[in-house]
Amino acid sequence: MAAFKIKKKRLKELIDSLTKEYRVFIPVESDGVSSFKEVTSDSHLPTINSHNTDRPPKEIFFPQTETLFTYKEGKISPPEQPNTKYRTPNTDKIAIFGASPCDVKSFSLLDRLFGMERNVAKCSGYKDAYWINRRTNALIFTIGCNYPLSTCFCNWLNGGPFTKEGSDLLLTDIGEDFLVEPCSQNGEEFIKTKGLPIQKAAKVDIKRASTVRKEAESTLSEPVDITSLKEGLDTLWDNPVWNEIAYKCLSCAACSYLCPTCYCFDIQDERAGNARGKRIRVWDSCMFSLFTKEASGHNPRPSSKERMRQRIMHKFNYFVENLGDFGCVGCGRCIRSCPVNMDIREVINTIKNVKLTISNEK
Amino acid sequence: MMRSLENELKECARKLLTEKKVDLIIGYSKSPLPLRSTPCFIREEKDVDSLIFDLTCSNNLATYLQKSKCAEHRKPNTDPTVRMENRCKIGIIAKACDARSIVQLILEKQVKKEDITVIGIACTGILDLKKVSDRLNGKEILNYNPQDDEVLFEGKDFKKALKLSDILCDSCKTCLNPDPSVYDSFIGEPVSGAKTEKQEPMTELENLSFGERWEYFEHEISKCIRCYACRNACPLCYCEECVVDRTNPQWFGKSTEFSDTFTFHITRMLDTAGRCVGCGACIRACPTHVDLAPLGIKIEKEIKERFGYTAGLSLDATPPMATFNEDDKEEFIM
Amino acid sequence: MSEHRKPNTEHRNWQPKIIAFLCNWCSYAGADLAGVSRIQYPPNIRVIRVPCSGRINPIFVLKCLQNGFDGVLVSGCYPGDCHYISGNYYARRKFAILKTLLEFIGIEPGRVQFSWVSAGEGEKFAQVVKKVTDDVKKLGPAKRFVKRV
Repeated sequence: MAAFKIKKKRLKELIDSLTKEYRVFIPVESDGVSSFKEVTSDSHLPTINSHNTDRPPKEIFFPQTETLFTYKEGKISPPEQPNTKYRTPNTDKIAIFGASPCDVKSFSLLDRLFGMERNVAKCSGYKDAYWINRRTNALIFTIGCNYPLSTCFCNWLNGGPFTKEGSDLLLTDIGEDFLVEPCSQNGEEFIKTKGLPIQKAAKVDIKRASTVRKEAESTLSEPVDITSLKEGLDTLWDNPVWNEIAYKCLSCAACSYLCPTCYCFDIQDERAGNARGKRIRVWDSCMFSLFTKEASGHNPRPSSKERMRQRIMHKFNYFVENLGDFGCVGCGRCIRSCPVNMDIREVINTIKNVKLTISNEK
Repeated sequence: MMRSLENELKECARKLLTEKKVDLIIGYSKSPLPLRSTPCFIREEKDVDSLIFDLTCSNNLATYLQKSKCAEHRKPNTDPTVRMENRCKIGIIAKACDARSIVQLILEKQVKKEDITVIGIACTGILDLKKVSDRLNGKEILNYNPQDDEVLFEGKDFKKALKLSDILCDSCKTCLNPDPSVYDSFIGEPVSGAKTEKQEPMTELENLSFGERWEYFEHEISKCIRCYACRNACPLCYCEECVVDRTNPQWFGKSTEFSDTFTFHITRMLDTAGRCVGCGACIRACPTHVDLAPLGIKIEKEIKERFGYTAGLSLDATPPMATFNEDDKEEFIM
Repeated sequence: MSEHRKPNTEHRNWQPKIIAFLCNWCSYAGADLAGVSRIQYPPNIRVIRVPCSGRINPIFVLKCLQNGFDGVLVSGCYPGDCHYISGNYYARRKFAILKTLLEFIGIEPGRVQFSWVSAGEGEKFAQVVKKVTDDVKKLGPAKRFVKRV
């Protein structure tokens, strides 16, 4: 596919042209936390950190609170639509500018779960209207990570700082310009839009990009082989290693709320008086004891051990079983956000070692 | 200096384990990330060497004394028939604020004093990672090197020294009782009265108008994602069922709707009134940097003014909200 | 944010809704006395009878504000008169902290008020309600803490 480039100075023009047709989300930093925010005024420019944001972009397609419907005096109505300056009347099409490759991969993983038609071997069979509505026709501009963080381990999970899975266009920071490579049909078509501030990339640019990529890849630590992790976990359900792993866990949801692939939710009714209210879908987390608490008061996952096991099992066993891939993209956010500095890479290594010890004993 | 402190610490821990005075030591060990440490649980002498103590030991370990959080690791290591009581004796490394939390937990009958051996440690403050990150423009730090009153940070393409006083946690800078209030053994030299100037925790917000203060909190609290890291990191939030998790009646909505979120934070602050030791664990635990400090500081100031109490200083005290004085001020009551 | 800065004249016909938590042994009886003595007081309060001012959990007050009440009045027995000996002494400490915190976060002092009214003080009860109602009227409708559903 042909490659293009865009001057960094002209990014704003590109984003402006996007806002004509899309609701555009860009990474923005405020109070030391970077997250994706919708472009609502012309002043917005993306914060480009060359690594992933603190809060993942999953909240664009799967917001923490989703109103399913509202009711008033017996009448049910659909939720009010968001209202922004740039929103053209007939479109809810979303464009994300500046997602990192790991986050874009997480979209593909959640696509399998929420029932988007994509060419994958396994999907859940469930179709989630909310996800699909937002995700259909969404245009994803990925910016590769020139400077992956020391917490990044996407290379353990078949990812990398410049992988294209799920992207429509991949941008590579090559100094004054971004190299722009369309990597889907949508991307190809978008690049044909008239009046975009882009030009054909020269050979030098492409070469430059490949150097940048190699450099970025070399800064990632040596990947740990986790191909047999799923099978390993099959045998570890009762293993005391979970105690050891979960000792220090405080059972908060910092890891799961900031995880790009965690999707558990709860349905709640919110009332205002007797006649008015709404039904909402809110994020929930398997790290909370309330998550599995039953009406009788019994809790099948009473302590952090069971809950930690669930989280690891879900990501590295059940997800593989049900959806054909690991439910983790190696973004490292859980490592960065954990109040007690639990490191999922260490957890994986611990599990691997236990498995090795067991098989050696046999 | 730090090294010898660590050696002393390891010696002490080793002794406690060999003499079977404790079954378990709760301390800090290195985390794979620079600038971070992680809580560790040591049962055997051979693991003692992984103990560390430095500027990064930010967690309040008293949290792990709570029943709900340590059901598993409280189980005795030794054969229960050998031990007369089926209880685990715990040695815990305690900075001043951890020790204050332990005092509160003992006062509130959450742990038994005789089950705990407090290894008090001299602490001159710990790093506030947000301040460091802000001063380095969010660049990733790969290595750090503490010097006298500076810390040298290194990253991919930079080296920068920052003044220690600029990057310590606020709760450390305003810590009025920097030496552990209780301990069975003490590591290092007492630090109170030493070089640093301590100021009373204050919050500039008090000088603002009602509307301005509201706006401040509206901004702060809207950053909350309801992960409850603050609550779970708090050594004194030990309710078996938190009111925010109650379902019958359900007091709180579950979304990030502002009033629900704020009510949760206010309620938590009111519940810890007169008990909060100002360790700052909730603030450091927050992944979105919600500034909860003013709420806590304000309450503790009020408690001190009205009831003359500072939490966690004495094992003989009565928590102020569990008692009363007939002459308590009531200027606000009609 | 701009909404609660609107001048109160816009709400000319607006009447505040105020919730009153009254102790069964004193203020509730005081309200009763005001009633049988035909003492007039504003009809803006909704009364919830509680066994003691010590029964008031600060969450009750917060929930009232969240659910859209414009003001909250909590009234109990004078110190020394508590039916349960010391309930109001504990309550007084709680209220002091609650009030400080509410004002600190930006809830105007008039919104949440506390009083001691004995069973014999029908007149005082009426005055208290009048004062609270006047204060809340001056402040206008509560907007800050109301849950947005």
